[in-house]
Amino acid sequence: MRDVAIVGVGSTQFGRAQWSLLKMMCEASNDAIVDAGIGERKIDAVYVANMGASRNNRMAGLSSGLVDRMNLYPHTVSETIENGPASGASAIKHGVHSVASGYCDLVLVCGGERMQEVNNFEATEFVSYLSHRYAEYPYGVTLPSLAGMFTRLYMERYGVEARHLAMVAIKNHLNGAKNKKAHLRIPITMEGILTGPDALNNNPWIAEPLRFFDCCPVSDGSSAVLLAPAEMVKEFKKTPVLIAGMGQATDSQAVQDRPDPTELTAVRMAAERAFAMAKLTPKDIDVAELHDAFTILEIVESEECGFFKKGEGHKALERGETQIGGKLPINPSGGLKSRGHPVGNTGVSQIVELVLQLRGEAGDYQVPKQPKHGFAVNFGGFGNNVVATVLKRGV
Amino acid sequence: MAMNVEVAKCTKCGKLSYPTHFYCPSCHGTKFEPVPVGGEGRLLTWTRVYALPLDYAQLYVTLGIVELDMGVRATGRLEIAEPKTGARVRTHIGKVREINGKDITGLVFTAV
Ligand SMILES: [Zn+2]
Repeated sequence: MRDVAIVGVGSTQFGRAQWSLLKMMCEASNDAIVDAGIGERKIDAVYVANMGASRNNRMAGLSSGLVDRMNLYPHTVSETIENGPASGASAIKHGVHSVASGYCDLVLVCGGERMQEVNNFEATEFVSYLSHRYAEYPYGVTLPSLAGMFTRLYMERYGVEARHLAMVAIKNHLNGAKNKKAHLRIPITMEGILTGPDALNNNPWIAEPLRFFDCCPVSDGSSAVLLAPAEMVKEFKKTPVLIAGMGQATDSQAVQDRPDPTELTAVRMAAERAFAMAKLTPKDIDVAELHDAFTILEIVESEECGFFKKGEGHKALERGETQIGGKLPINPSGGLKSRGHPVGNTGVSQIVELVLQLRGEAGDYQVPKQPKHGFAVNFGGFGNNVVATVLKRGV
Repeated sequence: MAMNVEVAKCTKCGKLSYPTHFYCPSCHGTKFEPVPVGGEGRLLTWTRVYALPLDYAQLYVTLGIVELDMGVRATGRLEIAEPKTGARVRTHIGKVREINGKDITGLVFTAV
């Protein structure tokens, strides 16, 4: 097996796209191609990550569309990967396998989602298809409702309070405000969303105990990475970033079916596998992008991945350890909370953000002290399909 | 969607599963007999959810996960004004949702 490196990255603005889904994906892909400087070299394969195109955009077989628009036919191998909100990291994993095995050399992985075609009810309905068909879906179970029930149990067991959840949102909005491509670039305050007289107006309930600012927005956006074998990185112009490890695990689909519903076993297992493959430990990580679709998830994932002990994540957050200048900056890009959550694309965008950090190109939200190792969690369903990735600057 | 109110009892080892799996989680058996979900239990956690999918006329619905005395957990609709975790609840079968104009029946929990 060959080592695999990221040699180019690109991304569109997140939020409400002016462009069609394929046009967004072309722009992000072209950014990655220009970033890498591939010259006359041919792209061998295209892996596309998307969750909702068949339903929301009335498009299927998206990778064929992208290959057509990018004039990459007929030589290119291509396919679309749908793995719920973990589609992005899943597509990267397929790209990595294809380079590692020697099947392909230069591989483009592009995630794209355009949700503005559907209203909030339809978006909530479409995401709720991830829930268990008989035990959850018929009851109107949505991702926010699973997150709400999970949060209540977690708060009661580990002493997490509403102010800790608000701290995640405030930190990530502060970070995202510095990221020109983020969807919600509005700083928020504890008074405005929790303690002030207008807090309940500004920040209404979504699924108690979760409120509006505990949940990520519904975003349009596309991101892309170019993968190449480590032995080829000298042919490209940017500092290469090695995919040091990837791990994945699949938990029971229904949250009620888990022996302890406060444990995100698939997150823990995916992280352990990624660290084992990278021969690194959580202590080696300098910057992380975690899947904060709900504020509670950033706290719990930071524990399950081994950065903090179980029940200690909210304390580290309170001490400021996860801020950009802290011991382990988490979601310096703004996370899903502020950067946005174009569902099928999120896993690709997390890796793009980490590559910018490891190259020292993140600008206003750059983590100090030249980070060498980055870590991402891309979380599908309510923790039933999780992909973790460890990145390392240089090869 | 009647299966959503039945527990699968493994005919080989007696283990109850809800929701059902193709293989028994205990003995890997593939034969089950249906047992109706019922009786009382304890509310493990709950939420009042305002972000509803399509086909809802209400402002919110209350959902919970219950640990049933019969030995399985189940997610269902709560008809309890002020739920408290740990509270005793009783199981009923009732209408839980309408999809495309069709009533969907499922588990509804009330206070004991
Ligand atoms: Zn059995």
